[in-house]
Amino acid sequence: MADQLQDVIQRWRKAVVEDGLRPEDHELFQNAGLAYINQGDTTQLLDFIQDEKNQGIVESMGCGLLASLVAEVLKRKKSSSTCKAVITHLAETCSPMELMLIFLGQVDDLHPDLIADTIVLMAPHLQTVLLRLGEEKAPWVGLALAALQKQVSRLPVPYTKEQEVEDAYGLCRCCSALARFMEPFVEEVKRRDNSEDGGTASDNQLKTELLKFCMGSLREPLLQAQLDQAIDIHKQSPLWHFATDILAILPAIQEPLPGLLFYKALKKREESGLLTDSTKAQESRACLAYLLFVQLITIESFPAVFSPVFVLQCNMEYIDLLLSRKEESFLLKGLELYTKSLERVEDNSLPVELLDLKSFYSVPQHLVQILTVCPIQHLREQGFKVLQLFIDKLGPEAKHKFFRCMIKTSCHAGVEGYIIKNIKNQIELSLKPGHENEWFMGIQVLPLLRLVLCFPRGPETDLLNSMDRVMESLNLLRYLHMRDMDWQQTSSIWPELFKIKEDYLKMLRVCLALSRAYYAGQVKNMREDKKIQAQEAREARVALVQTMTVKNKMVSDMTPEMQYQVLQCALVTFDLMESLVIRIEEISEEKVKTGTAV
Amino acid sequence: APHTEGAATASGNNRAAFHWRPIHLVKQEGTGTELPMTGDKVFVHYVGTLLDGTPFDSSRERGEKFSFELGKGQVIKAWDLGVATMKVGEISQLICKPEYAYGTAGSPPKIPPNATLVFQVELFEFRGEDITEGEDGGIIRRIITKGEGYTKPNEGAAVEVCLEGSCEGKVFDKRELKFELGDGESLGLPSGVEKALMAMEQGEESLFIIKPKYGYGNTGNSKYNIPGEATLQYKLKLTTFEKAKESWEMNSAEKLEQSIIVKEKGTQYFKEGKYRQASVQYKRIVSWLENESSLPEGEEQKAQALRLAAHLNLAMCFLKLQEPSSTFDNCDKALELDDTNEKALFRRGEALFAMKEFDRARADFQRVIQLYPSNKAAKSQVALCQKQIKEQHEKDKRLYANMFQKFAERDAKSKHLKTRHGIVNKPPTIPYMVAACRCC
Repeated sequence: MADQLQDVIQRWRKAVVEDGLRPEDHELFQNAGLAYINQGDTTQLLDFIQDEKNQGIVESMGCGLLASLVAEVLKRKKSSSTCKAVITHLAETCSPMELMLIFLGQVDDLHPDLIADTIVLMAPHLQTVLLRLGEEKAPWVGLALAALQKQVSRLPVPYTKEQEVEDAYGLCRCCSALARFMEPFVEEVKRRDNSEDGGTASDNQLKTELLKFCMGSLREPLLQAQLDQAIDIHKQSPLWHFATDILAILPAIQEPLPGLLFYKALKKREESGLLTDSTKAQESRACLAYLLFVQLITIESFPAVFSPVFVLQCNMEYIDLLLSRKEESFLLKGLELYTKSLERVEDNSLPVELLDLKSFYSVPQHLVQILTVCPIQHLREQGFKVLQLFIDKLGPEAKHKFFRCMIKTSCHAGVEGYIIKNIKNQIELSLKPGHENEWFMGIQVLPLLRLVLCFPRGPETDLLNSMDRVMESLNLLRYLHMRDMDWQQTSSIWPELFKIKEDYLKMLRVCLALSRAYYAGQVKNMREDKKIQAQEAREARVALVQTMTVKNKMVSDMTPEMQYQVLQCALVTFDLMESLVIRIEEISEEKVKTGTAV
Repeated sequence: APHTEGAATASGNNRAAFHWRPIHLVKQEGTGTELPMTGDKVFVHYVGTLLDGTPFDSSRERGEKFSFELGKGQVIKAWDLGVATMKVGEISQLICKPEYAYGTAGSPPKIPPNATLVFQVELFEFRGEDITEGEDGGIIRRIITKGEGYTKPNEGAAVEVCLEGSCEGKVFDKRELKFELGDGESLGLPSGVEKALMAMEQGEESLFIIKPKYGYGNTGNSKYNIPGEATLQYKLKLTTFEKAKESWEMNSAEKLEQSIIVKEKGTQYFKEGKYRQASVQYKRIVSWLENESSLPEGEEQKAQALRLAAHLNLAMCFLKLQEPSSTFDNCDKALELDDTNEKALFRRGEALFAMKEFDRARADFQRVIQLYPSNKAAKSQVALCQKQIKEQHEKDKRLYANMFQKFAERDAKSKHLKTRHGIVNKPPTIPYMVAACRCC
């Protein structure tokens, strides 16, 4: 057999130079090669391929073996070094175009379990081939990056640091491989830019392809990754490293970050169809903003002269996008970016006109959603902090408008209560010498108080549900009464305020009477139910059968005990409200007696 | 060499304000004669240091000039004030008190709170701001008086404008107008003027230089006696514009109420053939109701119905305006609300057809037929798709055949081999081939 093969090889060597190889030869070559591979006898194959005299044959026919070789390496992870050597040799000798087609075929539609191994194996070879393509490489680099990225984006992103270290699905390994893959191309762009003749069409295309890849990577996987700020962990965090690599590439390929983030430099290219989906591009930029302003990656080379308000205004678009999602990684990034962007702004400085911008409207709306319906506690906590921070940064007129709008649109007693508390704080601040401002003391405060001190649903108001709002409102009223001395100069608003107060308290009394009657009835029913239940339980024990009856009158997932407690609590709350009402009236009577009230 | 070192001049004309304005030391006089105007794009190099000399930022180190739009609050106050007084070629030192820089908050990690900053700034160039989307230089703005606020009129907004159009020094159009953006054409305004207005703030007065592409094109305008390929100058003052009532100020009930009114308005525009204006109205419905989560039962359905109608109508408007990708998006949104909606499926099919995605178009029309067997229009559309697909297929075949040929030839040349039979294990799939075409 060996002799036979030698003969064939001799003939091939001649054929390569003379009349060309026939299709049968290709078949024969492939079969012979496969036989070696399948027998695990790759050393011989390597010898053959490396033999100087066989170079013509390898150049013409070697490609055919690649698919099998790659499969072999992936199958038996050990003892494949010769296989790898063969692949390396083929990548260096065969026709680059043909190799590209085969390689791209190889990384298409991979089995999920094979993605990481294949990419780690193929990336260096792809790189070799691309570099051999010389001037024509740019479109191929684009294809290769797109193909690799498509596969990598199928891998699950680690959720915890432990998962990231374990890297069970190989995403982190892939990212490192991709970063290494990019290096020579980035270097080339850099080199060209520095040289005199830089900027040919092919260079520009290479830049565009690299940019596309960077933007894609920011969206997937980095936007989904948990990149928090524990610094010592960063040293081992491969995804954080990947983020650093990507952010270093952008300026290197002449994409200054201010342009990308603030001036929408991508617009032009988006129009030409390269990044057709503008939401996707926007998501990439959102991640970029997060990495830059929250993780401070490459912040040292970011211009420090932008005004904080401008940065906030630009970032608000990204915050809006991030907070409109439901995934934890998006929300967390959005909240952190929001916090960091606000921290740099001076207190009481944001002008009211900013609130006309769509993002400044929708971000607080998203925030309310997070505060009221998001099941993840740490997000809700962070949401509260950032809401307060935002309020603190607003100028007086902006605060006024913001409070008004929140009361009107939030539809949640908890949020409303929180806003009312803020209103009280602002009034309190306004009464301090040196802090007076018209928005929270004079005539301007009336529309705000009118919005706050009312019951939009009239006597049907469920006081238990709107408890937070009512309590804060009463608190505010009490405060206003206690400080009415300080209001002398603005006493023109007192008659009106007095009327608002009277109407409010009148309605509250009606609501209280109705609610109390209703809940007291509920408690009574509950007690009776309890008796019956106890009875049932006793009987059940006797019968050795555990039965559970849940009467869902109010809230379905509460046990009867909890329901009972809630009802009791409601009654206590009503008492509390009532005593506050009485206290407010006492204060105003005292004032009348002492003649200080108007 | 700096020949005026130490010669302190207060920025602006107000010497009395010297002590609190940023201090401005001219190190090297500029060569230019003009000062940059508000809104101009300026290009500078700068080195920033703290008072103790610690550098914190340098564009020179980054190796690229820093650019920003002057006077718009994009940079710290000291810069907006300081650079506005510089001439091209000038090198100046700006010493900025914290209230003109980063104030009490500082800018972590580089700038501590309450820091006085020192910048050495060199102005290289400034030019009018290009307001076109593609930055093709077609509409350049020079702001004469800056406007107020942050919002700009949207399409469809009612605006009040003073305008003065001139061409080669001669004024050809001088009017005070009140109209809705989108209606400009019927008033004899070139598209550039409407684009310009959409970039303006309330009260702003600016000069716009408009290239023929956004002016009267290569035909010119006979009424105003303007030749083809003429560059126009417009001085515009946006006196006021109507801000649509913000969703901020509306609660759910008001939003629903307004949506119904706006829908009627849209339909009216649509009937008049004003598709752009109609689309603006429908978009407002979407923006109001899209994220409205606090609607009570019953109202929720009303809102859904309104949104569905808005998306369907938007899809129709964009078909008329020949913007199929917008039609596609709106149909998708409509189908999210009602996944068997006949109109949505049909219009998406039409959009895909216009985008030359005949396979997907056919799938949509087939779905329509499957759900609504009586829809005859869909049937004829399917036939049309078939025909196009077939033609496309023929074309592709020829194209790919050529391409293989080309590859083979080139490889053969570069390898200096007498003959070659390229073997490709797997037939290459289409995306690779299409892109490969770009390189040959």
